Amino acid sequence: MEEARTSWPLKILVLLLFAFLLVPVLVVIPLSFSGENTLRFPPTSWSLRWYGAIFQNQRIMSGFRISATLATLVTILTLAITLPAAYVIVRLRTRGSEFLYNVFTAPLLLPTIVLGLAILIIFAPLGLLGTFTGIALGHLVLTVPYGIRVTATALAGLAVPVEEAAATLGARPLVVFTRITLPLIAPGLLSAAALSFLVSFDELVITLFLAGPRVSTLPFEMFRHLETRSDPLIAAIAVLMIALTLGAVMIVHRTVGLSKSFAGGR
Amino acid sequence: MAQADDMHTASGRFGLVAMLLAPIILVNSFVFLLPILNLFRISFNEALPGGGIGPGGTLENWYKLAEDSYYLEIMLRSVGMSLLVTLLALLCSYPIALYVHRAKGAWRTFLFVLVVSPLLTSAVVRTYGWIAMLADQGLINNALGLLGFSPLRLLYNQTGIVIGLTEILMPYMILALLAGFGRLDPRCEEAALTLGATPVQTFWRIIVPLTAPGIALGCLLCFVLCVSSFITPRILGGGRVFLLATEIYDQAIVTLNWPGAATLSILVLVIFGAALVVYTRAVNRLN
Amino acid sequence: MATAQSAAAGDGAFLSLRGLRKVYTDFVAVENLHLDVPKGELIALLGPSGCGKTTTLRMIAGLASATAGHVMVGGRDITSAPPYDRDMGVVFQSYALFPHMTVAKNIAFGLQMRKVPRAEIDRRVAEAISLVRLNGMEERRPRELSGGQQQRVALARALVIRPSILLFDEPLSNLDAKLRDEMRTEIRDIQQRLGITAVFVTHDQSEALAMCDKVAVLNAGRLEQFGSPIELYEHPANPFVASFVGRVNRLPGTAAGTTVKVGAHDVILPKPMTGAVEVMVRPHRIALGGPSDTAPGANRVTGTISQVAYAGDLVQYGIDVGGTRWFVEQQTTAARPPEVPGTPVSLSWRVEDTLAFPAQG
Repeated sequence: MEEARTSWPLKILVLLLFAFLLVPVLVVIPLSFSGENTLRFPPTSWSLRWYGAIFQNQRIMSGFRISATLATLVTILTLAITLPAAYVIVRLRTRGSEFLYNVFTAPLLLPTIVLGLAILIIFAPLGLLGTFTGIALGHLVLTVPYGIRVTATALAGLAVPVEEAAATLGARPLVVFTRITLPLIAPGLLSAAALSFLVSFDELVITLFLAGPRVSTLPFEMFRHLETRSDPLIAAIAVLMIALTLGAVMIVHRTVGLSKSFAGGR
Repeated sequence: MAQADDMHTASGRFGLVAMLLAPIILVNSFVFLLPILNLFRISFNEALPGGGIGPGGTLENWYKLAEDSYYLEIMLRSVGMSLLVTLLALLCSYPIALYVHRAKGAWRTFLFVLVVSPLLTSAVVRTYGWIAMLADQGLINNALGLLGFSPLRLLYNQTGIVIGLTEILMPYMILALLAGFGRLDPRCEEAALTLGATPVQTFWRIIVPLTAPGIALGCLLCFVLCVSSFITPRILGGGRVFLLATEIYDQAIVTLNWPGAATLSILVLVIFGAALVVYTRAVNRLN
Repeated sequence: MATAQSAAAGDGAFLSLRGLRKVYTDFVAVENLHLDVPKGELIALLGPSGCGKTTTLRMIAGLASATAGHVMVGGRDITSAPPYDRDMGVVFQSYALFPHMTVAKNIAFGLQMRKVPRAEIDRRVAEAISLVRLNGMEERRPRELSGGQQQRVALARALVIRPSILLFDEPLSNLDAKLRDEMRTEIRDIQQRLGITAVFVTHDQSEALAMCDKVAVLNAGRLEQFGSPIELYEHPANPFVASFVGRVNRLPGTAAGTTVKVGAHDVILPKPMTGAVEVMVRPHRIALGGPSDTAPGANRVTGTISQVAYAGDLVQYGIDVGGTRWFVEQQTTAARPPEVPGTPVSLSWRVEDTLAFPAQG
């Protein structure tokens, strides 16, 4: 039926617009195999030298290690913080719980540049600038709202009578939680974890305010590199990051579905 | 466990509830509520040279903002550029959204993933992709050269930022449009066509008015994200295009004028508020 | 358990609700409810939606707390016991099966919670599965079962723990009509075979009448009548019960002794009343005849057929009797086609089939 309604000119236009949307990401892939010293597209020679260069760049390698550790820690903290909170918010449906939900997801409504500055000013006198702890706390301001959205969605999808049935069959509250609730929301928790990891791993603006000479993340190092020169090194890193992102996207999509994590109501 | 309809149990388990909420309240207060409230306070503090924060209760930062034409200039540039980007993003996103909305089954899912996937790609990576496209030796200029045209200066100026931001914000616009398209019943279009409307008339008289709420939401989202975007303008502008967000960063990190940066941040939030008011008015008029 | 049950034997009532009350922030869901359920009986809580029947069931199960009053089982007060200590089997409206467990694991869950030895669990689960005729489905997941099969799993899961009381929350409302009739008989059969005390919540009056020993009719949180299906149908306590359980013609009239003036007609009552009354006659208890037919010893009015709705087994007539619309239902037969609109007819019914209540302000 849509064949009849979608005319050829519109199809071609849509194709071009999709190209516009996707080319900047796709162009990075061939560029990463460039054999040249500077950025030139299309490249005139090909090689794997820029992938090798990643491993020789101490700053990038250290940034990667820190980002991976940071994202892992932030993910664990996010789950530990949001799961109990989501449980209270979803299971005690009162006027107060909606208010709490709004407060806890409010940081997503503010620009990261403002959040970063605000956190910088609070952290500076506490000696948290340029520390791993400081950056981790800064990332939580973004990952916790995402986490509460996804876990609350997962919990809301779990029918209350299922938990009640377990209780009437003799299961105590903790047993209900471990044997019924937890296994049933596991897919939601997994996608909350994937999303938190991705947000933390890719985060740059807040990190720009909080990172220092001793502790900096991979996106921070890439940004600094780009400010001075734009060679294909970043393309090679980008391809690896896209691969990582694809993995995470697959996990989220297979479990909860992307639309729910992004379009989740406020 | 705790039942939704059971006030007795809820109050009896107040301690448990408090314990479960304690971590999130702590984190939310420490990295969100407290910093934001403090930001408002700081904007009324005097800025001392070398990063100091002087006594409070002064409107000096606000006077400076009002008096110095430099700030007016960057504000107008930020807002003007954001309006342009929003318009371009709308024009580029609408056909895609319409097409995805009409697609069915697995094809639709696939298209949806395509639309969302750039969102999950790091902003640095996507901006870098645009450098590869726009640079003097980039895809566009090399293609132009091949066709015998003279190269264009696309990078490190506003043109590059506008092109890059348009593409980077498109997924948000498409998602908002798709959410608004929920109201678009294909039978309405069919009804219009059977009543003798041409496809073009159907588009302007039926499709656009029905999808107007989605358009409004997408424009709000795009504008707000654009006004506050930092990474893309910074990299594609090469530090030569001065906008609100870049100015906040420079004052905070380079000149260490935190009260000044805080004041500019509040200005950004005020622009957010104004955009929200315009949006609410527009939506009310639509209903 | 055993002691609790023997204590109940002398009492007559096994499950007792004593002045049960439930108040939510903005309304009273259940008001001062007294109910006694004898051991081994199946009773229905019947009423329109929002009447408090499900809230009552949830208070019995411990899923909602009572604002006031007591729930007693076998003489033991369990009002404040948590659901996991109540020993009740609940069959939920949505079945509430555990989607991540197989049929066998679902049924075994309650036994595991009771720390029943492994071998006995296996034996009792197998028993329960054959009781509800689900042999061969043990390793299926709930989503691989039909609605009727899920219903059986829910029943088996509630039965296998040998609960002191079985509670049903509108268990048949998600099934199609044919399956619903089948499950009615099956649930009733199993309940009687096991001699288990059960409470069945429903809004379907035919379900309540057909399945249950006794029916409690609830309306707006209050108990309207508690009695056997025959009592409810033939001797409703009030107009609400009369019109909720079965259909009735409701006609205003003025009574003096055993005679009521309904429009231009005199109607004889089985017992004397005075003043403004509401007379009720069930549509299928009315016989249609020719306009001049007489039926001795019966009430009789005349009118004109204005509407005919043929439904196969029944035909429903709308009849204009002196400006009032009456409904009459007749069995159909191939021997005689339904009457046509405009036909003058007489309506007659037995005096015993006449219900009357004082008119409500």
